[in-house]
Parts: sequence; structure tokens; C-alpha cells
Amino acid sequence: MGRYSREAKTVTIIWAIFTVLGVLLTLFAHRLLPGLFPVAASSLARTQDFTLGLFTVLGVPVAMLVWVIAAYSVAVGGSREMPSDEGPRIHGNFKVQIAWLTSSAALCIGLIVYGLALLPEIYTPHAGNNLVVDVTGQQWQWTFSYPGYGNATSTTLELPVGEPVTFNVTSVDVTHSFWVPAFGVKVDANGGEVTNAYVVPDVLGNYTVRCAEFCGLYHAYMQAPVHVVTASVFSAWISGVQGTNA
Amino acid sequence: MTTVLENHGPSAASSGSTRASYLSRSILSGIAVGVPAALITFYICHLVVGPGSVRNTELTLAYIAWAVGFLVGVGAFNRPVSWALARPEPTHEQERELAGAGQGAWRYFRYTTDHKVVGIQYLVVTMVLFAAGGIAAMMIRFEVAQPGAKIFSIQIYNTLIGMHGLMMIVATIIMITGAFGNFVVPIMIGARDMAFPRLNALSFWLLFSVIPIFLSAPFFGGFQTGWTAYAPLSVQTSLGMDAYSVTILFFVLSTAVAAINLVTTVVTMRAPGMSWVRLPILVWSLVASSVLGVFVMPAFLASQYLVQLDRTLGTGFFEAAQGGSDWLYEHLFWFMGHPEVYVIVLPAFGAVLEMIPVFSRKPLFGYKVAIGGIVGVAGLSVLVWAHHMFVTGWSPTASGPFMLTTELISIPTGLAFLAAVGTIWRGRVWLTMPMMYVLAFLWNFAIGGVTGLYLADVPLDVQLHGSLFVTAHFHYTLMGGAMMAFLGAVYYWFPKMSGRMYDDGMARIQFWLLQIGFNVTFLAMFYVGLQGEPRRVGDYANKFATGNMVSSIGATLLVVSMVLFWYNLIVSARSGTKATSNPWNAKTLEWLVPTPVPLENFDKIPTITEGPYEYGYLMEDSSSSKRGVTKEQSSE
Repeated sequence: MGRYSREAKTVTIIWAIFTVLGVLLTLFAHRLLPGLFPVAASSLARTQDFTLGLFTVLGVPVAMLVWVIAAYSVAVGGSREMPSDEGPRIHGNFKVQIAWLTSSAALCIGLIVYGLALLPEIYTPHAGNNLVVDVTGQQWQWTFSYPGYGNATSTTLELPVGEPVTFNVTSVDVTHSFWVPAFGVKVDANGGEVTNAYVVPDVLGNYTVRCAEFCGLYHAYMQAPVHVVTASVFSAWISGVQGTNA
Repeated sequence: MTTVLENHGPSAASSGSTRASYLSRSILSGIAVGVPAALITFYICHLVVGPGSVRNTELTLAYIAWAVGFLVGVGAFNRPVSWALARPEPTHEQERELAGAGQGAWRYFRYTTDHKVVGIQYLVVTMVLFAAGGIAAMMIRFEVAQPGAKIFSIQIYNTLIGMHGLMMIVATIIMITGAFGNFVVPIMIGARDMAFPRLNALSFWLLFSVIPIFLSAPFFGGFQTGWTAYAPLSVQTSLGMDAYSVTILFFVLSTAVAAINLVTTVVTMRAPGMSWVRLPILVWSLVASSVLGVFVMPAFLASQYLVQLDRTLGTGFFEAAQGGSDWLYEHLFWFMGHPEVYVIVLPAFGAVLEMIPVFSRKPLFGYKVAIGGIVGVAGLSVLVWAHHMFVTGWSPTASGPFMLTTELISIPTGLAFLAAVGTIWRGRVWLTMPMMYVLAFLWNFAIGGVTGLYLADVPLDVQLHGSLFVTAHFHYTLMGGAMMAFLGAVYYWFPKMSGRMYDDGMARIQFWLLQIGFNVTFLAMFYVGLQGEPRRVGDYANKFATGNMVSSIGATLLVVSMVLFWYNLIVSARSGTKATSNPWNAKTLEWLVPTPVPLENFDKIPTITEGPYEYGYLMEDSSSSKRGVTKEQSSE
């Protein structure tokens, strides 16, 4: 059995090396390359970005375990010709099976707890006085109206930086999905229902609302511009819109 | 009828059939009844509903009339009718003729009950669906290689994505259960045929009858909904939607008939000594997949039934203004839709775990643990469906439980993976073509599994849902995983099914084109998905251009590879070198019967004395190896 425990040690070392390399590569790709994710303009988007990196780092040792064991066995015992001898008749190994089961269960439960802990961030409004925006999807455009400003209505989404926002989303026809990738916010627009999304946009810039639920002919073009601007620019803009609407 | 088969050994070929009987009970007689039935129904309905352009009422009823007429013409109801009229039971001789005895290649075009014929019929239909779905995929990737709707109109693009989606879903559902569940399983368990040979033929011809229906969709404006066909979009879309709904109606019936037949066969027809813990793991996975399918597929049928009522009668099940809800459709659809991916993946696990011991020359590592994994996945999979609905805006309290069940399913999946790598470990790995596909499966499915955890995490899914990241993820599981397992299985059982060997050199080129092309295509798709490109768009912003171009170049390699695969199979089946009856030196029963496998498979039903994977030398210090070494196989 000496040979086999030696092999197990070798494979563990190879696995550790590849895991470290994989984690370094992940960190490099995730932190140093110009963002895998689009610009993150809210804390939720940054949390998602972090989660993406975290899950990849945790996924590397799991995938490497499968790949390294398979690749090592092929490298050591593999042949294009029919093998002249047989492998050892091993039907299982209780310790290995228990170790595998407990470690995968522990990892899995860790991920569940992590996910549950972050749930409130999507489902609860941010503290403070929320700017309310009513979002209406219809084939194939978005309309935004601001009930706090006499229902001023626009086809661009203009938001003051740093101020919490509550979106009330609905549809007048089929199902759409209100998605602002830069905010990490997405919620379906359903006919006859009002659904909610919450965000504090905290980076000035121009972004896009996309429809993320297939809604027919011009789904691909169902987009709207998002402008995150300073409070004074927002005030000027909203009064302008109110003027036009009136 | 099975008792009749079991009590008789094979006898002389049946008395010569006349030419007229060749034309009856065949695809030709099916068309001869089905087409007039459809036309007459269409005409009568058109008169009743009133003049004007074609509406969905007459189209839907004409589709149903075609399918029923075709089944009547192909002879599906002959035996039920003669039973109802109390005609005499068919003799063994008549049963053998129904099973295709002495009919040459024509038996593949008839209502033939032999499970090996049905298996090959399923295999060919699977390959045709892969080709058709693949052509649609190629058209999609050509269109989106560059920004701008350049090649097709956006209408055609929108229909293509749904056609591609549903054809591939149907193909992957039937690929292993249909082809190998029929051809291999009865031999594996030591039976002469399936429990219900006529139902077996019925399941195939039900499936066959809907293919022309589905392919007619583009001629009626297509259906611009994607394969998920969310209502109320599907209620307002073109007439092509009726083809989709009727296809699902008959396809669900086909899967139910096939699943019940397979489960009954395994429960009741195992050879003496073939206990549940001696069953090949493929059989376990197919039983789990079939039971799961019987539970969940009817929800799909129900959803399409309601969609058709909304479309024809305006019932408003899914229209908010009439008290309906789009969430009702999504729940019905995903109650089928997520277990359905496990209906696809479990047989793939089974096929992979079936091939690994043979090509590692070792017993399956943790056979019972692997079964636990398969059954665990099947059980948990009915509790995960609403993870497709995390961003619908539904009750926030529901997200937690569905995140929990979705992530828990990685535990039994991990057990199946443990069986795979545990068996390869220290094996004498024989790198045949099937084994190469097993290794590709392990590579691709690991990526598909890990990215599935990203999507199970609700906060991250809020960003990724509905993006091309999801598309890339499920192609890693269903194409890189399940379809690779299927292709490996095709190469593995090809010598038994065709009696010839495939061209190994060509197969290796094809393999590497596929594996590299696949990873290029879908790694690039992960990237554009992360960047924020939604699914199902025929046009997109310039910033996604590079990723999409790379993805389309990868897809071109896939096309070349699949053309080679087709070519290799067709040429090798006709003129490959003759295969011996057991080219892999495997121990399951299908390799111990002669090639070609005779009608009714066995002269004498074998008695089983040990498990299916007793490979390997005995280790001196091993205490777990007190099993028999030889398998009794009755004489020819």
C-alpha cells in the first residue's frame, strides 16, 4: 500500500499547486483586469462583484479536485491501447466518502448562509427619504414617472447621486424585466402587479436600463438611458420635465 | 404478451409477408391517413368558424387531427381495437412479425415493437433534431457575430431562438433514455423485450408525429417567445405558437408512455439474480429520470392547454386584466422546467458512470453512494423550480427556501462526481473515444456546476438572471455535460448497435474540434453575460462585439465537428470494420450477447451472480472482495 499513499500525497500536492494558481488567476482576472462586471455604481453591484470573485475562489479547489485526480490518473495509468492488466478492485472507501460528503455539505451550507445574510439588501428600502420612481414597461419602451414631482414623466431615468431610490415597476402588456446592470438591480415588470427594487446610486455617470425578459419583436431594442447626476442638476432637470409635461 | 415471448425460444423466421402488408402499419400508411385527416378537419373548422384568414382554432385542431390520423394509419390502435372487439390474442408468430422479424431495413419505418428497433429509431430522430437545432444555433451565432440585425430580420431571429431551444430540449430529453434506454436496458437486465412492446412503439411514433407539426411553425409566422414561451406573450404571438403547444401536448404523452414502460420493465423483468444492487448504474439513472419525468412533465402539458384556451377562447388565465397572472404560467412551466434538466442530466450521469469502470478497469467507486446521489438529485429537483423566479418581484420570503434547496442539490451531485473520480483514480485508463468524452464531461460539467452556484445565490442572480451568463451556464451543463455524455455513449454502444467500429482517427479530430469549439463559444458567452448582455437579443451594443465574435468563431468549430460526427457514423455503419461482440471487454450483459443482437436477445435467460463492475485484480489485504469472480452466462 506504500505506493498508493505516496500517490495520494503526490496528487494532493499537485492539487494544492493548481488551486493556488487558479485562485491567483481568479484574483488577477477579477481585481486587476478592467472589470469583468460593468461599472458598479451602487453598493449592491459591488457586493455582487465581490460575490462573483468569492464564489470563483471557492469553486477553484472543487473543480481542481475533480480535474487533478482525473488528469493524474490518466497521466499515470492512461493508454490508447487496451490495458494488459486490471486496476485494483476497490469498491469504495468509507473515510473518503464521509470526508467528501461533509466537506461538500459544509461548503454548501456556508454558501447558503452567506446568501441568506445578503437577502435583505435586495428586498428592503434603504434608510432615509426615498425618491420614488414609477417604472412602466410596455412593448417596447420604458417610461419613468416621479410621483413626488407631480408625476413628471420621462423616457430617460434621471437620478440624483447618493439618494436612496424606490422603484415601483409594472407593465401594461406582457412581462418585461427592469434591469440596470450598473446598479445590479433587476425586477420583472408584470401586468397587474407592482414590484419593487431599491438602490442608492453612488457613482456619477451614464448607464442603461435594459429589458431582461424576452418580450417580443423589439425586445433587443427595449432600452433607456440612465443618468446619475448631482442634486442640483437633478432639480433643474425635473423642473424642466414638469414644465414640458404641464 | 410478454409471457408469450418468454415461454418461447426464437423459432424460424415468420412466413413470408406480402408486399401489401409491408405498406400497412408503416410511415406511409400513417401519412396516408394523417394528411387527409388534417386537411378535412381544417376545412370543416374553417367553414364552422366562418370565412376569413386562418385562425388558431382550425390550425390547432388540424394539427391534432394529423397526429391522431397518423397514429391510426401507422397502426397504433390496431391491438386495442381488436382487444375491445374480443378478437383472439395474437400468436407468438404474429408478435414476432410485429417485432420486425424478416422485414429487413423496412422495419425501422414501421410500427415495430422490437426494443432494439425503437432504440435505433430514437437515436436517428435524436441526431436529426440535433442537426436541425444545430442549424438554428449556427444561424443564431452568425447573426449575432456582429452588432446590428444584418443577416435575418429580427422576426426570424426571434423565432430561431425558440426553435433552437425546443428542438434541443426535446433531443436532449430523449437522447439517452430513448436510444439507449430502449436498445440497451432490456438486454442489460436480462429481458427479451420491454414490458409493453406496443407502448414502446407508440412512444416513438407519438414523438415522430409532432416533428412535422413543430417544423411547420415558421410557415405560420413562427413563435416569437423563446422556448420558455412565457404567457401572456405566447397568447398574443403568431399562429406558429399553436405548433409549439400541440407539439408539447403529444411530446408529453410520448414521454409519459415511454417512462412508465421503462420503469415497469426494470421493476418486473429483471433476470433471476439481477437484484437492485446488481443493476448497472445506467439503469438506475434511467429509472430515476423516468419517474421524475412522469411527475413533472404533465405540468408542461397543463401550461400549454391553458395557453391554447387563452388563445382560442380568451379565457384569460394569464391576463391580469381578466384576473389571470403571468406568474401562474411561470410556476407551471418551471415546475416542469427545472426537474426537466435533471431528467436530461441523470441519464448522462448514468452513462458516464457506466463507461468509467469499463475504461478504468476498476469497479465503480461507491456504487451505492452513487445511487444515493442520483436518487437524491431526483428527489430534491422537484423542490427547486422557483429559483427561475427570484427576480419576478414575488414574495421575498419565498426566495430563501428556494435558494436553500437549489444549493443543497450540489451535495448529491457531488456524490456522483465522487463515484466518477474515485473510479478513475489508480485505474488502468483506456483512452478510447467514449472515455475521452467522459473526461470532457468532467471538465465541462464542473464549470457548469460551479456557475450554477452563482445563479443559485439570490443577490448575485439578481444581476445575472436573464443575461447570456445563464445561457452559457446551462449550455455547460446540458451540452458540455449531458450531450458530451451522449456522444460518448454513442461511440460506446455503436459497435453493438451497428455491428461495426467507427473510424477512430476521424472521431478523435471530431472530439477535439468539439471540446475546443464548445469551450471557446461558451467561455466567451460567460464574459458578455457578465458585461451585461441580455439573452435572446438579435442586436446589441458595440461593447459586446468582441466577445460575440469569439463565441461565433467557436461555434463554427462546433458545426464542423458535428458534420464530421454524422459523416463518421453513417460511413462507419455501412462500411466500418466488423466489430466483435465485446470490443471493450466489458461485463454488462449487452456485451455478452452476439452482435447483431438476435430478436428476443437471449436463447435462455441468464442467471446473474455478481455486480456489473467486478473488474480489477484482488488486493491481498482487501476485505471487501469476497465476491464471485465469474458470471454465469447460459449457453447460446
